[in-house]
Amino acid sequence: MTGNSGITPSRIAIAALVLAGGVLAGLVIPLHRGEAVGARLDMVEERVWALPPPAALRVASLGFREMAADVVWLLAVQYIGGHVSSHRQLPHLQRLVETVVDLDPHFVDGYTLGALFIAYTGGNIPAALDLLERGHRANPTRWEPSHDLARTYYLDLKDYPRALHWFQIADRIPGRPHYVPRFIARLYAATGERETALELWQAMRDSATSDWVRSIAEREIVKLETEPHDAPDTGGRP
Amino acid sequence: MRVAAIALNTFREAVRDRILYSILAFALLLIGASVILAGLSIGQESRIVKDLGLASTSLFGTFIAIFLGIGLVFKEIDRRTIYAIIAKPIHRYQFILGKYVGLVLTLAVTVGVMALLVFLLAWLVDGRPAPGLLAAAGLDFVALMIVTAVALLFSTFSTPTLSAMLTLATYVIGRLSGDLVLFAEQVPSPGVRAVIRGIYLILPDLGRFQIGSRVLHDLPLLPANMLATSAYGLSYILLLLLLAVSVFQRRDFK
Repeated sequence: MTGNSGITPSRIAIAALVLAGGVLAGLVIPLHRGEAVGARLDMVEERVWALPPPAALRVASLGFREMAADVVWLLAVQYIGGHVSSHRQLPHLQRLVETVVDLDPHFVDGYTLGALFIAYTGGNIPAALDLLERGHRANPTRWEPSHDLARTYYLDLKDYPRALHWFQIADRIPGRPHYVPRFIARLYAATGERETALELWQAMRDSATSDWVRSIAEREIVKLETEPHDAPDTGGRP
Repeated sequence: MRVAAIALNTFREAVRDRILYSILAFALLLIGASVILAGLSIGQESRIVKDLGLASTSLFGTFIAIFLGIGLVFKEIDRRTIYAIIAKPIHRYQFILGKYVGLVLTLAVTVGVMALLVFLLAWLVDGRPAPGLLAAAGLDFVALMIVTAVALLFSTFSTPTLSAMLTLATYVIGRLSGDLVLFAEQVPSPGVRAVIRGIYLILPDLGRFQIGSRVLHDLPLLPANMLATSAYGLSYILLLLLLAVSVFQRRDFK
């Protein structure tokens, strides 16, 4: 019967599946093409706008605070990624990062990476320093916040007494990088500014977990390697 | 022996329930999807897989405990199979205990599958095993046993819809009871403060059973604390089961 004409129920099902797939592809592909990058960015921006304050998120997450912090972190990454590619401003970056660490005060990478984002993408170094100090207070047994505070004071603000202070704190914490005592010695001796800066950026590049952080470090390394060697500047040093 | 027979029967009945597989499928899908999400997190792969995995195990385990637990006794009454059961030489406490053990067994299998998947995925992402994840899932399982006991208690005297609502409310308050204490400290009136503290003491403190944060941040797991929390959970379960038995003993099925 049906075997003679070649139309079996299984063939009908396959044909229906192919047809449905074709219709879906025909609808979805033009829909995605038509969607401008700006529209997608606006969607992320809307979600950032609608983000409730940390106190409300703490209650709404029913105690799954770390998971809520992860969700906000993913939103922050989308927000930064979208804005960096379109060269837009990042007015909500600080709020997003602060929400993450409010929800999970022990999320050390939230402070360190968040501070990097705020300093290098948002251009707000005082806010980055505040965040790192908060990270150190909440996690006194972790060397990363104090190390990054020292690095920011050293590289971005050229405030050597404060850089020394934070390197000394990082030096007392187990697990700190091997180069910290060397930097402390150089800061005391007021020498090797360029070498220290180069080594700090190289350490950041080597330990980077993302291309974005790596590219910042590589850019600064190239800058240091190509600029002419000046006489050591001892101004402001201990 | 009778308890074991009822438990085994309840387990068989539960594993035939389609709702169990639907919830389990969603949970496994979400746990698997955490690997994709982790790739978008700038160096937080391990954290996202562990965290989302543990939270999914806990949340979906709670759904299973609630949706299967609320019908445990009600179904028997609704189908009138309870008359055949109580006509047999079975004590009512044995019936309740058997039902509870059967559902806990079902929960152990499903939570075990979810926790194992989280453990393996975290191992894959991290490159090293994190046994703390299994300990965290184990302690959270005690919290799920409490939720099951709450659902069973409500199931002895209420309809499934009402039982689901009451169990869900108990779960939400239980999860937030730590915040309740913090809130009490900020209330100026000593009377209101005492009432809030009373509520905190009566309701189960389910937040105590969450040690995922310690696993996530590589902090020591404090076995003594885990033992004390487990003991608290087991005594709470005992109390709930005694209440359920006492309500069920008083019910008239003639």
